[in-house]
Amino acid sequence: MPGGAEKQSELSEEIEAFVVRLKRGGQRPRSEETARQTLGLLRKIIARGRWGKAGELMGLIRKEGQRMTVAQPSETTVGNMVRRVLKIIREEYGRLRGRSEESDQQESLHKLLTSGGLSEDFSTPFAPLRANVIEAINELLIELEGTTENIAMQALEHIHSNEVIMTIGYSHTVEAFLKEAARKRKFQVIVAECAPFCQGHKMAIRLAEENIETTVMSDASIFAVMSRVNKFPNEEDSFHKFVSPQEALPFTEGEILTKINVHCPVFDYVPPELITLFISNIGGNAPSYIYRLMSELYHPDDHEL
Amino acid sequence: MRPREEMAARGSGKRGSGSGGARGPEPQEEPPPPLQAVLVADSFNRRFFPISKDRPRESLLIVWEKPWYFKAQALLPLANVAMIDYTLEFLTATGVEETFVFCCWKSAEIKEHLQKSKWCCHTSPNTVRFVPSDLYRSLGDVLRDVDAKSLVRSDFLLVSGDVVSNINISSALEEHRVRRKLEKNVSVMTMVFKESSPGHRARCQEDDIILAMDSATNRVLHYQKTQGLKRFPFPMNLFQSNIENVEVRHDLIDCHISICSPQVAELFTDNFDYQTRDDFVRGLLVNEEVLGNQIHMHVTTEEYGAHVCNLQMYEAVCSDIIRRWVYPLTPEINFTDDPAQSYTHSKHNIYRGRDVSLGHDSVLDENVLIGWGTIIGNNCSITNSIIGQNCKIGDRVILDGALIWNGVNVANDAEIRESLVCDEAEVKESVKLKPRCVLTSQVVVGPDITLPEGTVISLHPPDEDEDEDDEFSDDSGVNKEEIKVKLKGYNKLEVGSEGRGYLWRADNENEVDEEEQRQSLWGPHLNLGEESETDSDISLGSEQPDSRSASPQLDDIKVFQNEVLGTLQRGKEENISCDNLVLEINSLKYAYNISLKEVMQVLSKVVLEFPLQQLNGELDPQHYCVSLLPLLKSWTPLFKNYIKRASDHLDALSAIEEFFLEHDGLCTSMAKVLMAFYQLEILEEEMILNWFSRRDTSDKGRQLRRNQRLQKFIQWLEEAEEESSEGDQD
Repeated sequence: MPGGAEKQSELSEEIEAFVVRLKRGGQRPRSEETARQTLGLLRKIIARGRWGKAGELMGLIRKEGQRMTVAQPSETTVGNMVRRVLKIIREEYGRLRGRSEESDQQESLHKLLTSGGLSEDFSTPFAPLRANVIEAINELLIELEGTTENIAMQALEHIHSNEVIMTIGYSHTVEAFLKEAARKRKFQVIVAECAPFCQGHKMAIRLAEENIETTVMSDASIFAVMSRVNKFPNEEDSFHKFVSPQEALPFTEGEILTKINVHCPVFDYVPPELITLFISNIGGNAPSYIYRLMSELYHPDDHEL
Repeated sequence: MRPREEMAARGSGKRGSGSGGARGPEPQEEPPPPLQAVLVADSFNRRFFPISKDRPRESLLIVWEKPWYFKAQALLPLANVAMIDYTLEFLTATGVEETFVFCCWKSAEIKEHLQKSKWCCHTSPNTVRFVPSDLYRSLGDVLRDVDAKSLVRSDFLLVSGDVVSNINISSALEEHRVRRKLEKNVSVMTMVFKESSPGHRARCQEDDIILAMDSATNRVLHYQKTQGLKRFPFPMNLFQSNIENVEVRHDLIDCHISICSPQVAELFTDNFDYQTRDDFVRGLLVNEEVLGNQIHMHVTTEEYGAHVCNLQMYEAVCSDIIRRWVYPLTPEINFTDDPAQSYTHSKHNIYRGRDVSLGHDSVLDENVLIGWGTIIGNNCSITNSIIGQNCKIGDRVILDGALIWNGVNVANDAEIRESLVCDEAEVKESVKLKPRCVLTSQVVVGPDITLPEGTVISLHPPDEDEDEDDEFSDDSGVNKEEIKVKLKGYNKLEVGSEGRGYLWRADNENEVDEEEQRQSLWGPHLNLGEESETDSDISLGSEQPDSRSASPQLDDIKVFQNEVLGTLQRGKEENISCDNLVLEINSLKYAYNISLKEVMQVLSKVVLEFPLQQLNGELDPQHYCVSLLPLLKSWTPLFKNYIKRASDHLDALSAIEEFFLEHDGLCTSMAKVLMAFYQLEILEEEMILNWFSRRDTSDKGRQLRRNQRLQKFIQWLEEAEEESSEGDQD
């Protein structure tokens, strides 16, 4: 089957290109974009890959997923999408084996704890599995498309009139969120510029274009206005990503560089205990409820790829 | 100003013919053809000699007694990844689709390395083609081969195999292409520089440059290595030309990345004496008016680019990689896709490979990279260091700025500071390595010994070079070495009681100062204050802007003179055109490293002496003039080519004066000769008058000037000038 071999090599070339893109990571694509690309690639692997049983498919996805995750460990989106797909395969397989969806949904805490004993071997081949999984991934893609809008739709529930909102840097989602709220309510936004990249400036300009009262300030004065701030919407793409210190201290600063170390983290880490509310596309959740969300979206066996 | 106008007209005329004569394929219009690169995986010097010499089979470099026969440093590990991988990654990331890897020394190893790497995998977007040849002796040879084989189809990148960079070349490439389109192939090369102020550790002193550029067009006007000098002469015409802003810059690092047009390869073919890129740049700038080619530059401030030419740079680049200056080429990204090179990155730039074990109370302070499978004992303190794969580090070891390659054993209580330890070397108990030591592979030192600063220890006895040169590529050499080792034994004072290795000295102790050689291995030290005053004296004395290390020997001038004479003779006999004579004299000029001023003097002298041969030494002014004048006439373009600036005129005149001083009998014909020069428009009247009225002449010179005919001639000139100036006023 020469056509098959060709397709295979084409596919591996695509995977290679994606991995390389992740590694170079120069242009910092939005996480939504990364998620869509990952899913698209995984879909291709499922459609074109050689597998007969669900177990083989999962092995394949896991193998490729691992390569992609390792390529850019700070980009958590990739790993999460791989886990979502694995979960989808499990569900579809379970459905084909006749396990009802309800029983799966009703997994209780007790069941979660004992789930180790119930592990499946995924060895029964089902012909419609491929089509079903691809269908489910397509649904997931559609869901992704609407993520930003879905989150923005909830804006009115969270932002009230005359509140002081603070945000830092630039985020597409936060921008949409605030703009949506501004259509009905009037509030004030403070943007910290987020040196040394200063994406905060871009954010402020975009918000000001929508006639939102916006103030830009330097990162150092955040503490001074913190007491006035009511809400702090922020988006975390990834963390623990250090880039070249060039932005913080230019390379031209000759002699001083031989004596000091410069670090330039791209993202700040916000410890979970400081977060009061997670807003996802399906609604706001308290941090204490996140574990449940996780178990719905990901299977515990997949946490370690 | 007559002379300038004429000069400009002449220059532009030649320029037209120069670019028209280029054989290159016309640059194709959009879409741009796939970008190609020429990677030269040889640096053609012997910088890393002792390190490479020890590991002929594994990686790099070697040089035996032929100075150009050096090594392939392309496989030196930089932060545990071979240098050439950084270069290839840079090329691939910047969009190169086809790379030609040229190498000479150790080409089989480089080939093997590349074949195992992801670059030769079919999914690689960059096709790597391997071009080994034992015949390459310099960059010039490589480029001549590129031209001969017609490997490049359009603009290409020229890099050496030791470039570490994350520069995105596309904007520079775009500028280059636009320039070539607008100005019909005048610009042949764009050099890429990185901005960095003096004193920066990544500035390599031997590569330190000072250059003058036209700030409006980024054209390079003058390019010179500083060579530790403190004063730099710049040609005056640089500032007299009609360029509005001339910038003189000393804040640039030469990344050794150049965007070249196919013409570059052709120019190397045409000028067979070009060995290095510096020759090329210098030649092009000096002959800019003649050949009509220009060089431009691109300066990057944000991105990183460096080239590893000596150990000091090696150290600096390693530490820049660890400190993430080359992002995204950081260790944890593992761009080579080698499973042995996967690292985790944690705060303070600590990178750990897989299966690394760290003993109790051992501290990794900051900027540390530890390779796969390395075991570190208890109570160690490690900072600013790079440790290779499968090393064993004992207890209570202090590593500060150590660069350790694979499979090294460091025993308890050792202390290594700012030193390099190559593959499978062993450092025994309580050994202290002071800064800038080098232990080459499989060397053993210790126990209980302190190596003073700058010690280099190698397994090769220092005096074995000569009898080994015929077998360095031969495996049997290894056995022979072992035998030798048994015969000679090691000096316990140098390497310790259980040590194995010899203190490495440069070829010949009485020729080269040992200390100096060590220095050059690490590269000159950054401390500028140390420079002696003699350096600045040299710079004062050296007139020519392109002086190489030393001014040419007198002998060279003599030989050059004979060659010029031969050339002219042949020229006369075979009726060779003046253009070709110029070309030949130019190449002789480079071959003997002769300055323009000396060329002028030699040329004048040779031409004036020419008729003497035919006259059989008979000094008859009448005959002399009769035979000289037709010669002068036919060689006029030759003189015009060299005599352009005011100083050129004076140089020529003084050479003429000198000749007539030497040949008293011919004095009377001097006026006639000058007249001929004047009438052929080689020498300006203004300049002749200027020369005549010079006060600072010797007695003899004054006597010469009293010659009646000469006085008459001068008088005639003066009158002629008055007339012409009067005419102008009318």
